[in-house]
Amino acid sequence: MALPGLSLPGLGLSQAQSSAGLYTGSSSLTQESRMEDLAPRTEWRFEVSFQQQYTIRVTSGHAELFGVELAPNQPYTFSGCKAAILTWHGCQLEVSGDAESEYLGQETEYAVEWLNVHGMLETARDDAQMHSSEGGPRVLVVGPDFVGKSSLVRSLAGWAVTYGRTPTIVNLDPREGLLTPPGSFTAVTVGSQLEVENGFGISPISGPTITPVKTPLVYHCPYSAPPEKPDVYKALITRTALSVTNKLEENSGAKQSGLIIDTPGTLNDPKSNYDIITHLVSEFSITLILTLGSERLFNDMNRKFGQQSSEAIPVLRISKPGGAVERDAAFMKQLQNQQIRQYFFGTSKDSLNPHSHTYSFAELNIFRANSPSLAASSSSMDMDASDAPYASHADFERMTPNMEMLGRLVAIKFCSGSETDEFALRDSPVMGFAYVSEVDEAKKRVRFLAPHPQKWGDRAVVWGGWPQAVTDLVGSGTKQY
Amino acid sequence: MSARSPRGSLSGASSAEVGDDFGESLKDLSANNRYEINNLTSIAKEYTEHAQAISKSLENHIKTTAPSRKLPSLYLLDSIVKNVGTPYTVYLGRNLYNIFMDAYTLVDGNTRRNMEGMLKTWKEPVPGSMETRPVFPLETVRPIENALIKARTAALQSSRQGQMQPPPEYRSTPTPPQHNGRYTIPPSHGQGQPYGYGYQEPNAYQQSVPSGFSPASSVQQPHIYTAPTPQPANDVANIKRDVATLISQHQAQFGANPFDAELRKRLEALISLQTILNSQALDANSLKQIRYQISALAAAGAPPRPTPQPSYSTPQQWQSPASIPQPPHLARPPIPYSQPPSAQPQISAPFLDPAALNGLQALLANGQKPGTPQMRAAAPALQNASHTQLNDVQNQTASAPATNAVDLIASLTKNGLLPPPPANSAPQVSAPAPAPQQQSTASLLQSLSSILPPTSQRGTPTLPPAQLANTGKPRIPMNAAALKTFRPELIHTLYDAQPNQCSTCGRRFLATEDGRAKKARHLDWHFRTNQRMADSSISRGAHRDWFFPEIEWIQFVEFDPSTTTAADTNAAAAAKKEKQKQLPQEQFVRAPAGMTKNTCNICFEEMKSTYSEELQDWVFVNAAMVQGGKIVHATCLAEMQKGQQQSQQGGGGSLAAALAAVGSGGGQQRQRSATPDSSLGKRKAEDALAGMGTRMRMD
Repeated sequence: MALPGLSLPGLGLSQAQSSAGLYTGSSSLTQESRMEDLAPRTEWRFEVSFQQQYTIRVTSGHAELFGVELAPNQPYTFSGCKAAILTWHGCQLEVSGDAESEYLGQETEYAVEWLNVHGMLETARDDAQMHSSEGGPRVLVVGPDFVGKSSLVRSLAGWAVTYGRTPTIVNLDPREGLLTPPGSFTAVTVGSQLEVENGFGISPISGPTITPVKTPLVYHCPYSAPPEKPDVYKALITRTALSVTNKLEENSGAKQSGLIIDTPGTLNDPKSNYDIITHLVSEFSITLILTLGSERLFNDMNRKFGQQSSEAIPVLRISKPGGAVERDAAFMKQLQNQQIRQYFFGTSKDSLNPHSHTYSFAELNIFRANSPSLAASSSSMDMDASDAPYASHADFERMTPNMEMLGRLVAIKFCSGSETDEFALRDSPVMGFAYVSEVDEAKKRVRFLAPHPQKWGDRAVVWGGWPQAVTDLVGSGTKQY
Repeated sequence: MSARSPRGSLSGASSAEVGDDFGESLKDLSANNRYEINNLTSIAKEYTEHAQAISKSLENHIKTTAPSRKLPSLYLLDSIVKNVGTPYTVYLGRNLYNIFMDAYTLVDGNTRRNMEGMLKTWKEPVPGSMETRPVFPLETVRPIENALIKARTAALQSSRQGQMQPPPEYRSTPTPPQHNGRYTIPPSHGQGQPYGYGYQEPNAYQQSVPSGFSPASSVQQPHIYTAPTPQPANDVANIKRDVATLISQHQAQFGANPFDAELRKRLEALISLQTILNSQALDANSLKQIRYQISALAAAGAPPRPTPQPSYSTPQQWQSPASIPQPPHLARPPIPYSQPPSAQPQISAPFLDPAALNGLQALLANGQKPGTPQMRAAAPALQNASHTQLNDVQNQTASAPATNAVDLIASLTKNGLLPPPPANSAPQVSAPAPAPQQQSTASLLQSLSSILPPTSQRGTPTLPPAQLANTGKPRIPMNAAALKTFRPELIHTLYDAQPNQCSTCGRRFLATEDGRAKKARHLDWHFRTNQRMADSSISRGAHRDWFFPEIEWIQFVEFDPSTTTAADTNAAAAAKKEKQKQLPQEQFVRAPAGMTKNTCNICFEEMKSTYSEELQDWVFVNAAMVQGGKIVHATCLAEMQKGQQQSQQGGGGSLAAALAAVGSGGGQQRQRSATPDSSLGKRKAEDALAGMGTRMRMD
């Protein structure tokens, strides 16, 4: 199959990866495949770098990856992935390809706990179904980084969907997107099965997809961590909560299925007395708090929200999976780059064609979201005073495009660029993301790589310190788009 | 649990693999578990193309498994041939004689009776099906019956008190005797029998052998019974049907509330009533009473609460028939051990010698009660009952082994299911039929379970799997204590409860009609998708769509395109259209021929036509036709109309207002500007396009 988007020169890693992905069949022939027998309630843990291809096939028995069952005798290929394939019944895996590490994990008590959490949520959903006025469980997952929060959320979502529920998943971690590039908040009501390789799968595209698409609502969070701008972060939480709450009210199935919220580890800030978590709990009317990893966090949460407190929300301490490993900065950076790349070019299975749009400076309404990290990184800002109605300490500043934007991801908001209200700018959801591929200050032109052939008119374009610049996304050859 | 459903693609897996997998699953089948049998049956149904391998595997399993596990496997066979039918009836029928007889020789008496009951049903059409042919051809079943009759005759000859004693008279009949005595209904009315066991038996009204270990079973009085006042058969049949309905209702309730003691009592009483109805002739009066009571029960919905009953009947109570209130003319048998042997002459037993009879009575009087396990096996409906509860039942039924109608009617009365009979209804001791009273508890319960509708816990469970999935689901409280326990039943709900798996993506479906239909649609969807993806003209130009704005996302109903039918989609689309009508920016007008540009008369901005793939036509989006054929922005129009009816604003507007009001403390200016997309403010055609990216392409 021809992949025009991938045949462009200068795509760097994505090209290598994707073409490798396409020929998995032939490459696995040359590699020796090996069989691994897994006893019931064990798991096969593996860490695969972004340069590696690792293929797993279930030849007998049942196995699942984060709540999604692997189809029998289907090869699944992983790259840039640290995961574990769990079997309740025992299974045999055929493994081929390379991985940084692979081993059999015997400690799966965590999975029993996770499954029991699923059982608790199902019980609550059944209750909600019987008393239709009440909603399903609204779960907040908190914990430090790299303890398996996202894996837990994904497992709970996967099991719920297997059972025919439509849970709404909210991702509040700007470092790792859910159906989106990093730098965003996502809310998605999951109405169809999750994927083994890609988790939540793909957001709507114009063509056919291998698995049913998931439709997210996206907000822009141009900060890598909440403490950078707690006020903006909290306002975005409020906005997300409002939309999600409205959605659940519109749709009884979604309401009964409830809500699961994933958070970044930086959210847990004892110094602010868990200010943001408190805000989250009240905005989303949380009914269950799951803490992972940190005993202190559990105790603090229990004291603050637990049964003895005035909130009286059950707080449970969930085991961290034995396979949860730290993903170092380099890995996270690669993951973020991959998410950005996949937003424009798709995956090897669902490939996409991005489009190139050129705007003159005058046509553009670009705002910069200020944050401490951005201020630190760009000490020399070339600002046109007339274009900046806000003082430099404002959260958003209108600006003229400059070289600083090169390689950055910008969010195209639904709100108009003539918008002068800072809050409207902040709260407006994202229509799409574009990548700044060229800034010509002499000709006063900016070239963007956008996902959609249609231009976005005078909509506001916002960028900030997050996500960081991606240098190798496109080369010079994208002009024809 | 069982039912590792055979892996592999539907077409790809070889028959041998499927057969082996099925055989593996069979190894887990250790008890008469309806879920497992259901699962395995549905697997057999799905893999009918491998019927030969599966049949072979099942046959081998029945032959090789331990005697205690033979019956569940035979029930599975029964379930498969009844629920799936051909080709399994062909494959399994070939060697049915050996399958059946080999098992029969190895199992105990209790199991044998179950097998006999099952055999009986194979000569008849599946209850409730349109098919009029029997499950197995008669020429397949008959040799088995003949062999059974021979075996029992031999047993009878060797020992008159042997366990399986058919009267010699039955040697020539094609039908082996059934434990639920058929003598209650004259053959001409046989069709009133709901489950039709043995109604083609011409001698059915003769008392058949209550087979089994009840020594009384040898007290055979063929031909002695003459039906009392002939009843209109449909009368009896109606009552029986009503009782059956009530029983199934109660069973459903009981399934939901297994700890409701009153419900259990009522269910037991109803089952007993059914037995009586099936095993004894009742006169018009008692029938009337029962009918009245049944209809009251059925109409009330909430059955009458039984009066609190601290203790069940004691044997003493029942030894004195005169003390028992009883409807008149009830076909009530004498009670052997409380009666002088002189009463026996009433019974003309040509082939029984009195000494043997006395010996049996002595045995009875010794209080041979069936053990609890036997009862559990015999009446799976009571499997949930506790030990003491079972003992109660035993006391109730076994305390007077020689009676049943009397004490059961009495216990029905006590449990509030029957009204107390009129005081003047003296019990009649001179009942002509001595027959069914000699049934022991076990055989009574056995007959109970055999006459239960197939929806009960018999070998051919038909509980809807949706319910199945629900019943298998544990309730887990939201606390830390519940967190650590391993609960296989949760895994069951995710795997085995949905045995129907897509071989492409691993998605599972229920083993119901609905599940199968969904899977068929799902496979179609895979096919269509793959076809479209292979078509480079469609897939090459694919690009990511813009994300949804808030209002659209909120109103978007997630559905799984892979399992949604066209009808569902149409309904959803219709519902969406309804909603779209309320959203002015999504209204459109087909562009008049030649017209590509237009100016909105309200805002005087330009409108451009766009091509809608959905409509295959050029349209103006966010447009409305006003009087005089002018095309204006729909949002502008809405704005104008909104101004006119400001006060009546509600519904969808409140949502927008709520969204606009976010950010607490926002002033008027912010409220307006905060949600340019969600408020009903003007949106240009281009704005609307953004939301409709999937459907519109720019000119």
